Amino acid sequence: MNGPRALYHMVRADFLERVRRYSFLLTLGFAVYLGYAVYAGQVTLRLDKYSGIVNSAWLGAVLGLVSTVWLTLVGFYIVKNAIQRDRQTRVGQILATTPMSKSFYTLSKMLSNFAVLGLMVLILALAAVVIQLLHGEDAHIDLFALLSPILILGLSAAAACAAVAVLFESLPVLRGGIGNIVYFFLWIFMLSMSVTEMVPSHPASWLHGLGDYSGIAAVMGQMHAAVLKIDPQYTGASSFGIGPMNLGAKKFLWTGVRWSAGILAGRLMWVAIAVALSLLAAVFFDRFDPARGGWLSEKTAKPKQKGKLGEAALQEGVAVNGQSVSARASAAHLTTFTRTGPRMRFVALVLAELRLMLRGHGWWWYAGAAGMFIGCMASSLDDARTGFIAAAWIWPILVWSQMGTRESQYSTGALIFSAPRAVPRQLLAIYAAGVLVAMLTGGGLALHFMFAGDFAALGGWAAGACFIPAMALGLGVTTGTRKAFEAVYTMWWYVGPLHHIPRLDFMGTTADSSTPVRFLVAALALVVTAYFWRTVRLRYA
Amino acid sequence: MQLAIENVTKRYKKGVVALCGFSLDLQPGVLGLLGPNGAGKTTLMSILATITRATEGRVLWNRTDIAREPDVLRSVLGYLPQDFGVYPNLTAAEFLQYLAAVKGLDAATAARRIDELLELVNLTEARKRPLGGFSGGMKQRVGIAQALLNDPELLIVDEPTAGLDPEERVRFRNLLSDLSGERIVILSTHIVSDVEATATDIALIAKGTLVAHATPEALLQQVEGKVWEWVVSSADLTQAKQQYLISSTTRRSDGVHARVLGDEPPAGAQPVAPNLEDAYLFCLSEHRAGVPA
Repeated sequence: MNGPRALYHMVRADFLERVRRYSFLLTLGFAVYLGYAVYAGQVTLRLDKYSGIVNSAWLGAVLGLVSTVWLTLVGFYIVKNAIQRDRQTRVGQILATTPMSKSFYTLSKMLSNFAVLGLMVLILALAAVVIQLLHGEDAHIDLFALLSPILILGLSAAAACAAVAVLFESLPVLRGGIGNIVYFFLWIFMLSMSVTEMVPSHPASWLHGLGDYSGIAAVMGQMHAAVLKIDPQYTGASSFGIGPMNLGAKKFLWTGVRWSAGILAGRLMWVAIAVALSLLAAVFFDRFDPARGGWLSEKTAKPKQKGKLGEAALQEGVAVNGQSVSARASAAHLTTFTRTGPRMRFVALVLAELRLMLRGHGWWWYAGAAGMFIGCMASSLDDARTGFIAAAWIWPILVWSQMGTRESQYSTGALIFSAPRAVPRQLLAIYAAGVLVAMLTGGGLALHFMFAGDFAALGGWAAGACFIPAMALGLGVTTGTRKAFEAVYTMWWYVGPLHHIPRLDFMGTTADSSTPVRFLVAALALVVTAYFWRTVRLRYA
Repeated sequence: MQLAIENVTKRYKKGVVALCGFSLDLQPGVLGLLGPNGAGKTTLMSILATITRATEGRVLWNRTDIAREPDVLRSVLGYLPQDFGVYPNLTAAEFLQYLAAVKGLDAATAARRIDELLELVNLTEARKRPLGGFSGGMKQRVGIAQALLNDPELLIVDEPTAGLDPEERVRFRNLLSDLSGERIVILSTHIVSDVEATATDIALIAKGTLVAHATPEALLQQVEGKVWEWVVSSADLTQAKQQYLISSTTRRSDGVHARVLGDEPPAGAQPVAPNLEDAYLFCLSEHRAGVPA
């Protein structure tokens, strides 16, 4: 059972199941977009005032960094559902009854994750050839210089990302939304580790890249050395990111990465780490045992009531084929129903949605939410606006991420959408409940603004309270998964409000970065999008 | 109160036709919808429940096209899908309160109705337990309760007894019979005994088309004089199955007692009274052979 043939079929079946889903088109679309972004000059690499002549070596390096940096971020959220899918489709229950070992299973999931990410890397490799043909300043294609950074850096980082996804799925505490948030900060940490190793004077050593998961240090270190040769005043400053940063850059000739034994060993080491992580995941993998579903499921599985339960409670001398059973199962016990229109019940529905959102959390969550409210109130206005509100509005991220996804996650769509006017009523009720959550956790700051009479700032706060649930609803309804909001919101929260970046600061954490009208319009657009998306999806179901 | 299904066709992507020109006219009573796996029962239920749209044809509820005005039907609809989920962190009562709010019931009516329904489905003592800890049968009973929340005029239940133990199955059958007075109940199943116990009408469906629509008595009439009990040895059973349509077999000390369906009996076979399972199998075999019902 645990032989190479079985492993091949496990990986193959999982890979085919993924690529035959429509959502996989989005995955491919993302890879194609990355290639296009490089082609269009939206992704740029610059070393102080220098940028490379667009030849095979330079394009290969840029796309290699794109594959290793961006794919390991977005790719994680794309592939972190391999075990979850087996759980949802209940195929896992069948697999669990086979002689397959846990390590074999987690290894196969790592490999199938790797196959998906590897396919994206291959698309980038193909894009590299096309970009040079269409756009290159040097038309000569050096296939090794062009493809080796993409394949060596991209595939090794993809292996690490694939294994981390399996490990997160195996650990009950990281399986859900918490894991999605934790991974973003892990990614930031690993990236900073890579950058730390990027010292120009530091020569490539044996096992270079112990902390360089992405391979940035390996490539950029050599680039720094190349620039230093033509400009001894070069400070070592470099930037890699989104935006037209190459404008006005001086060009230098980059001849390609020298793949030393140390660099290659470092890349192989990350592949070995990937295998080790996938085997480590087997230790925590529950083999689809519902009794080992972690603290969360154990909590819900334990009966809270003592005494006789419903199933055993039938006591009235029931005969299986007799008619005495009918005595208690009579519809005559139901009182007459007075049919009224559902229009006046919207508030009740909002409260029901709010209760649904807030259920299932431990006491610590409620204590934390109360702490956020009090923190916003008790701290100085400046501290509350620039600091506490960001904390108060990251705290309910797992509450908001349920919005618009619960029906597909728990298969309750058929029950809900067969109710009258369900789509507009329920969608607006979910949104209103989401806004209430924002008001409950961040309300302390609003009170501060009101007492201070700063209504402009209050407008910025209100825009944030409207925008966050709208984003959750929009992403939830269109993607059907919580991950999209958890990933996008965490990144946006980190880049925008936390660093007070104008145009991205949806919380209005400073007077300069606050743009409430922009985010109110965006909130409206997102809610309308969610409505039409759901309506169309249901109409053509 | 009338539900008219007019020439409904449902074609899925990649050309799979689940329903083909299906027509049926329903009045108050319990309709048992019978058919083999993949016959199109669940697709039909889904269209009637306004979840799925027909590719062609229309469904009229009291002369209103439900594709154009689905809310006219939805306000009086109770639907128990074949596969449905629950929110594991809510209790049974909370889940029903939530769905009552979605269906637009006022708080007082909802509270009273939920109490009665939990009693009816025998879950009163489990009402405060999280649904995540419920067994499959208990979840199914929650599903039955939610379908009855708004006292539906059209009740659609798709494989409702799946996962229920024999006691609960009997309870549910009796409940369906009680409910059938002034409403239309559509019971889709492949458990013939469920239909036998409750249905006032039966529709047989195969490969997306209507094979027969009749009362149970009329269906039984069709096989009157065509069901035989034949005692064969175990060794001869395989050959007998190849020669005749056999609806069931029972092993006894004198051999295997087989119920044989056909115009001509095997040698030594005795005529017996037909049951609904015989009628169902006979109709399907005639349909496969191209004989009109």
